Amino acid sequence: MKDSFLYPILFMLILVVIFVGVLAVMYRSSEARILAYNTDVYQKIVLRLLSPAISQATGKSMDEINQAYPEAYALYVQEIKPEGLDRRAFKAVDSDSTLAYCFEIGGKGLWGTMKALISTTTDLQTLVDFAIVNQMETPGLGARIEEDWFLGQFRNRQMVLYPENKDDVTASYEFIAESQTPEHDRQLRRVTGATITSDSVIRMLKNEINHIFAFARDHEL
Amino acid sequence: MKTSEIFINSAFKENSVWKQILGICSALAVTNLMLNSLIMGLGVIFSLALSNFTISLIRNYTPRSVRMMVQTLIIAAYVIIVDIFLKAYMPDISKQLGPYVGLIITNCILMGRAEAFASQNKPFESMIDGIGAGFGYTLVLLAISFIRELFGFGSVFGIRVFGSWWTNWSIMVMAPSAFFLLAMMIWIINTRYYKLKG
Repeated sequence: MKDSFLYPILFMLILVVIFVGVLAVMYRSSEARILAYNTDVYQKIVLRLLSPAISQATGKSMDEINQAYPEAYALYVQEIKPEGLDRRAFKAVDSDSTLAYCFEIGGKGLWGTMKALISTTTDLQTLVDFAIVNQMETPGLGARIEEDWFLGQFRNRQMVLYPENKDDVTASYEFIAESQTPEHDRQLRRVTGATITSDSVIRMLKNEINHIFAFARDHEL
Repeated sequence: MKTSEIFINSAFKENSVWKQILGICSALAVTNLMLNSLIMGLGVIFSLALSNFTISLIRNYTPRSVRMMVQTLIIAAYVIIVDIFLKAYMPDISKQLGPYVGLIITNCILMGRAEAFASQNKPFESMIDGIGAGFGYTLVLLAISFIRELFGFGSVFGIRVFGSWWTNWSIMVMAPSAFFLLAMMIWIINTRYYKLKG
């Protein structure tokens, strides 16, 4: 019977139905849980990136604000949907005044796309903080862009080099080896063994910051 | 063959990496940190054990012409189950694993053991063989990653071992170090251990 023409086809078909069925049931039963977790993680990052501005306005410590999630998120963070901006955006608010902005940005890494969040001052000229939300880089090499020493290099950097000339918003960051000590504030340390990924991060920041700044120049956030 | 013999055979005597030269790609890719190696090893042990068990369970009904498709389907299904389970119930570990879980599907050891052992032996023995092969693979990964992490980062399992005087060897973090360490390991074991055993 195993040598007949139909047996292998039917056998394979039955096996596929069984395993796909098991996977589908397992995925559907876990979907809500996975989604809830991902939402929580995302919102916590947004709150963390906006917490310096919230802390400055309210006098509360950043730890206190972050630990008060989800209440603090509901109280201080609003998702905004400016018409024409093709990415998620948030603002930190306190008593109806805007304290800071947070934008979702994306770009290409070595193996796939990267998704990140950046927070900025209200004039969009200073990058307050930066976090990687999603990346598919090599664990132990490119994936080290999530480490604090690497991300920390971007904190409180002026995003727009020449605010007086609104057309020139290209930041001229320069990468040096991880083991080197920066000689000036435009030098950033690259992750060892992850040249392409490190370059991709800076390219993503440059492109996305340009895009957002150009958008904000012509539209209301 | 006794259960212990099956385990020792697949884990050491016929070790997938140093004897059969299988699973080399992942052995090179994930051995820069010991934690990565351990997690990858555990994932392989779990997937190998269950896929071997299932392949063996249906071996008498599997047509020879589609056996490799069947094996791939079963291996992929178990790896995806592990992935979904981790994402839902152990999200932090899942995040640490990153793309490793998906990489298990492409590990030659799984297909190798399915073809060489599970398709010809009983389910329980096949499961033991899977655990043994996965254990042997994990040992190799941990041995290489120990040297790479120690000299590349000055740490073991993320715990700093060398003081601030230590200068990290960048070459150990990069892929070439895995190539020559693995080659040296295979050479030493094959020329010393197997020669002594005759």
